[in-house]
Order: sequence, then structure tokens, then C-alpha cells
Amino acid sequence: MTRLLYVQGVPIWRNVVALRWIVQIVSAVVVLSTIALFLLNVAREIEARDIPFGFTFLNRAAQIPIGEAVIPYHPSDSYLYGLLVAGLNTIRASVLGVILATAIGILIGVARLSPNWLLSRIALVYIEVFRNIPLIVQLLFWLTIVLTLPKVAEGYVIADSVYINNSGFFMPWFLAQDGFWPWALITAIGVALAVYAFRRLNRRETETGQQSYPLLAAAVIAIGLSLVALLILGPLAIDIPQVEGRFGRLQGGAQLSGSFMALLVGLVVYTSAFIAEIVRAGIQSVGKGQTEAARSVGLSGMLTLRHVTFPQALRVIIPPLISQFLNLTKNSSLAAAIGYPDLVSVANTMTQIAPAISLFMIVMFSYLSMSLLYSLIGNLYNRMIRFKGA
Amino acid sequence: MTARAAPAPLPPATTVGLQGWLRQNLFSSRGNSVVTVVLAVVLAWFVFNLGSWVFVEADWTVIISRAPLYIVGLYPYEGYWRLCICLLLISVLLGMSWRAWPNAARRFAFGFGAVILFVGVFPHEMAPEHRALLLLNLPAIGLGYVLTPRPADASPGRLEAIAGGTLAPALERGAIFSTPRRMISAALVALVLTMILILGIAGVPGLDPVNPQDLGGLMINLLLAFFGIVCSLPIGVGLALGRRSSLPILKVACVIFIEVIRGVPLITLLFMSRHILPLTFPEDLNIDRVYLAGITITIFSSAYMAENVRGGMAAVHPGQAEAARALGLRDWQNTLLITLPQGLRNIIPAIVGQFISLFKDTSLVYFIGMLDLVEMGRVSVQGNQEFIDNGREVYLFIALVFWVFCFSMSFISRRIEGVLGVGRR
Repeated sequence: MTRLLYVQGVPIWRNVVALRWIVQIVSAVVVLSTIALFLLNVAREIEARDIPFGFTFLNRAAQIPIGEAVIPYHPSDSYLYGLLVAGLNTIRASVLGVILATAIGILIGVARLSPNWLLSRIALVYIEVFRNIPLIVQLLFWLTIVLTLPKVAEGYVIADSVYINNSGFFMPWFLAQDGFWPWALITAIGVALAVYAFRRLNRRETETGQQSYPLLAAAVIAIGLSLVALLILGPLAIDIPQVEGRFGRLQGGAQLSGSFMALLVGLVVYTSAFIAEIVRAGIQSVGKGQTEAARSVGLSGMLTLRHVTFPQALRVIIPPLISQFLNLTKNSSLAAAIGYPDLVSVANTMTQIAPAISLFMIVMFSYLSMSLLYSLIGNLYNRMIRFKGA
Repeated sequence: MTARAAPAPLPPATTVGLQGWLRQNLFSSRGNSVVTVVLAVVLAWFVFNLGSWVFVEADWTVIISRAPLYIVGLYPYEGYWRLCICLLLISVLLGMSWRAWPNAARRFAFGFGAVILFVGVFPHEMAPEHRALLLLNLPAIGLGYVLTPRPADASPGRLEAIAGGTLAPALERGAIFSTPRRMISAALVALVLTMILILGIAGVPGLDPVNPQDLGGLMINLLLAFFGIVCSLPIGVGLALGRRSSLPILKVACVIFIEVIRGVPLITLLFMSRHILPLTFPEDLNIDRVYLAGITITIFSSAYMAENVRGGMAAVHPGQAEAARALGLRDWQNTLLITLPQGLRNIIPAIVGQFISLFKDTSLVYFIGMLDLVEMGRVSVQGNQEFIDNGREVYLFIALVFWVFCFSMSFISRRIEGVLGVGRR
């Protein structure tokens, strides 16, 4: 150590190695003591002011109602289970939101680049309007719209099976029957076979130049197998929502509550505006020469987009796209403002009787794990698309 | 040489002018024509319905009768004149910016003036002295304009043409804010004055202190956004430098801080700050929730800012740092004088984007019980039987207010990029 720090004839304040060590130690002391001070302070105050803290409450009965749940929930279930139900609600909104926002965002982004002036301007207005208004204002607006829909009895009905009214959106949905799991297994096998056939035929097409219709073949295999099994096993029944009783409560089918609809529309519209910009920038980032070269070797416009422009644009699009997915997931916490029982909203209700700090530590931890999951996917993708060889 | 060249034939009528433009941009193919017609019909239907709703069906009385709540919250009525004077200071600064960066600020100044004029002459209930103070903003913009010299490379502005060429040189000599440094000083003085006017000082007649809880409406959104912006940039730069540093403990601390903050929604942070931050202060020091919100928003925003800054610095060509070393600059000089400034210029769009999202995020402070513009709107709809059906009007108005601010910020950022020559140097 002394030999490392002491060099003949060099004073210590000019010795780079020594200076680095000193700065290192000083910064460590500052950082650690700040954290320690903060934590000790908080711990002391929690003790002194008798603020409830701890995690033993998680096994007690929550005793709070949760408006809608993916899995069955009863107020006598524990806090932990209640948080799980709420977390699943968050995941439900996020997953649906991510899928819809991506689809609409890509459409708007491509429309923005359309040679049709009107279409491109409408896309521009959509983007500039929706990304410059805070999400919470949009959510409150959509909730108002949902609430001004007519009552169940006077609501819109499409083909006696889809109901739209102020208590939500109701549509027919499937009910799993006895043969469900065998059918699911057969479908999975079909998909695996289809992927194999697609790769095989695709390779043949690239190597020999012979038209082999890989996409068509794959679709026929997967859908055909699944359909045949469906007809034989009959694994799914269709559950149609029906009006019950004089006050017209709707039962059965898939039910999306009014606040869920408002949340979903708000999240999708807001995020798709950002995704559209990402898609536009991604497509524009591909050099013009690429398109021209593709056209000059005889690829059609569609083939150019599929095999030349889009694969290169994806490299630019995917990383910010994943960060938008993360944003959407975090933004779904605004559900608390419009009465959809997501993680934050339920935790907030629970704080009336349970320790608030512990609850929100759990909530923050859940969001952190979700965001870590997203960055994991992002990193995997980045590794996958890295330029190989060269 | 004697034979004159025949005049170039005119382009066919179908490729130039209105007809050519239509043909090229709307009806270039059969499919395109169909798309155009369908979109035009849908658009006309939408615009007609929206227009008839806005001008006929909608009932805007709620906005007019609740306007003070939306703009300044529960701020005491006796203090309104102080806010009017703050607005005058801002107008002077705006006039100065107009003169100094005409490309970036001119339209903004015009738009601001138009809003002031509209509100100032709109026939609604408003004390005459407030109305007068409001309309005084128009000359205030002009004052800021004439007190600032024309930038060396700009051509004479429109205002000079109106004032007459002979007057201009005299104004130039009398200009007070002749250097950027003086302009920054003016802005700082205006900032301090604004804070004093808004919060007041105990014991000074006419400047009675205002309870920070009573700050609300659009004013609190703007104040929180402003302080968030001013404070989060330096903190973000610090965090980014920490993350780039070669000292492992500092680096790990910065990484954990940035990733945790970025990984959770803002409203959980606001919730935690309401419950935990007060514990770290001495018990008798009662910190108002306005400050809690300000601190939380700043921390949240600085983590995002740090990532932007890091990205910008990583994009600076390594040759720059090598050249700096070759010239004998120390590491810290290299970072502060070479890499950081270029890195910051790289990320102007990202910084402005961050400011915009910060401004939008201030709409979440309702979660710790503050009455900002959105919460005021919500309360005025849901807490009032009279206006219970006017939700659409209120939220559209609030959306419009936020939209105008966010859109002007992104507009100005594009202009600033042009002025600084990003991508051209």
C-alpha cells in the first residue's frame, strides 16, 4: 500500500494513484453516510411517532372490495391476495394497452409517411394533439364520455350480443369446456409444426428461388389442425351476455367496465401517438439508397418494405418502443384517478387500515420488477440484432 | 449568339400550380383518390359535429365563472394585483427574447399577446384595475423589445419598420440589456421579484404572506414545472457524470438511484414523499406539501435527465476527448469544457421533451392533495351539482391549455435547434 501511494520525489497531491484512492474513499463515505443518515432518521421517526410499519399485515383479511378481478376475489381474502388481484388488473390493462397501442401506433406512423397529403396531415394532427395533453386529463375526458353513454336498458346493442352502455362494454366470450386442455395442446403442436414448415420452406425459397409459399403453408398447418381439433373436441362454448332482471344487470360474456374502457382508450391513444413518432423516425432512418437499390434489383414496393426497409427500421424502432411499453405500464397507475382497481389504486385504499409505507414499498417493488423485465427483453433483443460478423 | 434561344416550353398545366399540387399529393393514383375522398368526408363530418358542439350545444359558463380558480387556485383576491405584476415581468422578458432570438420567440410573443388581448377585452366579470394591468402586458412586451439590441446577424425586425428607421439607432444606443449576461441577470431579478410577489413577505404592507397551500390552478403547474426544469438539469448532469465516473461506489450509487426512480410511476413517488420525506425533517419543521411536490418532481425528472445527458455525452466523438488530452487539458477540464457542452447540444430535443413531460407530470400532484389545474377542473365538475354535466367542456378547456404550452415548447425547441445549428456543424 505504501509503495503504491508513495513514489520517490512525487508529492502526494500530484500522485494520481493516491488521489484516486482518496477521492474514492471520500465519495464512498459521503454516499454511505447520506444513505445511513436518511435511513436512521426515518427509522427513528417511525419509532418515535408510532407510525405503523412492517409486513405482518399481509396475511390478515383485507376487508376491502375490489370492483373487478381477473381471478375470483372476496373481501375476506388476505392483503397479499388482494394485491395480487390488483396487480393482475394492472397487467391486464398493460398487456391489452401495449398490443393495441403498438398496432395503432404503427398504422399512424406509416400514415404519417404516406404520399397522400391529407392522410399524412391527419396523422400529424393526431400525434401532435394526443402527445401534448397530460394523460390524466385524457383519462378524465374519456371517463366523462363513457359516463354519458345511455343506461343499460337504453344502451346500444349490436346483434343482441354486444352491449355498449354506461356501465361498460359487454361482448360474447368463450367458456372452457372439458376438452379445453387437449385442444390447447394440439394447437400448440400445430403452431410448432407451422414454425418448422415456415423455416424449411423459407430456406428453400431463398436457396433455390422456387416459389414455396412458406407463410401460406404455415397458416394452413396451424389453423387447420386447430380447427379440426376444435370441431372434434368441442372445447369452447360461447357465452353471450344477457340482460337479467327488471333493472337490467348484464350477466355473462366478457365484461369491460366503464373505467377500464376509459383507461384503455386513454392509454392506447396517448401511447400510440408516441409510438407513431418512433415508427416514423425508424422508417425514415433507413437510407433512401436502400429502397432505390431494392427497387433496382427488381423487388416490388411491398417486397421492398418487407425485406429491406422494415427489418432495418426495426433496429432503430425496438429499443424506444420497449421504453414506451414500460411507460404505458407505469402510466396505467393513473387508473387510481378514474376508479379502476389497479395496483396503486387498491394499495391506496388499503392504506386506510394497513401501514402505508410498507404497502407502497411493495407497490414500488412490483413496478421495479416489471421494468426490469422490460429491460431484460430489450437487452436480449439488442444482443439478437447486433451486427454479426463484419 | 445572335439567334435567341427559344423560350423554354411551359410545363404542362397538370404538373404545376394548384392543379398539379392536387394531382401529386391527393390524387396520384386510383387508390389514393379513394383514400382522399373517404378521409375528406369523414373529416368534414367530424369538423361539422365538433363545430356545432363547440359553438351551439356546449355550455361554457362553467369555464367563465370558475376562471380564477383554474388560473390561480385559492390565491386570495386581494393579492391578484401582485400576480398581474408578475405577469408584466414575464411579458418584458418575453419581449427581450423576441428581440434577441426573433426566430424562436416571435410567434410565441404574438400568441401570448393575442391571448392577453382576448382575455383583456372579453366581457366577463373582472375588476377594472386587473383588466388594466392585464392589458398593460402588451406595452410591456414592446418595452422588453426596445430595451434589447438587435442581434448582430439579424435583419431589421417588423417592429422597427413600424417605428421608423430613424428611431432605431437611438433605441439601439439606449438599450439596457445589451449582452447575454445582462439578460440573464434581468431574468434572475425577475425570478426573485416573482417569488417575493407571489409568496409575500411578513411585515411588509401590501405584501401579506400567502399560505403556500393556497397556490393552485395553472399557476402551480407552471411554478412546479419551472422549478423542476431549473433544478433537474444540474442534478441530472451531476448524476450523469457520476454514472460515467470511474469511481465504483459513486457509479453504483448513481446507477441504482437513476434506475429505481425511472422504474416506478411518479404517483408512487409522490405518495412515498408524502409519507417519508417529512420524517427526515425535524418534527417541528412543518414542510408544506407544495415543497414536497416540488422536490419529488425534481428528483423524478433529474433521473430521466441524467440518462439523456449520458446519451448525449456518449455520442460525442472520442476524437474530441483525445484532442483535448493532446492539448494538455486535465480530465475534469476535458469533461466540463469539451465533452459536456457538446453532449448537451446533442440532446436539446431530448431536454425539451423532458421539460414537456415534466410539465405534463405536474398534473399528478393531486395525488398529494394539491389543487392544480386538473384537480380544480375535476372538483368544479364532480363537486358541484350545477356543473355535473359540463365535464366535457371543462376537460377540453384544460386539455387546450396544456396543449398550447406543450406545443409551443416543442415549437421553440425546433427553432433553437436551428439557431444552434444542431446537425449542421
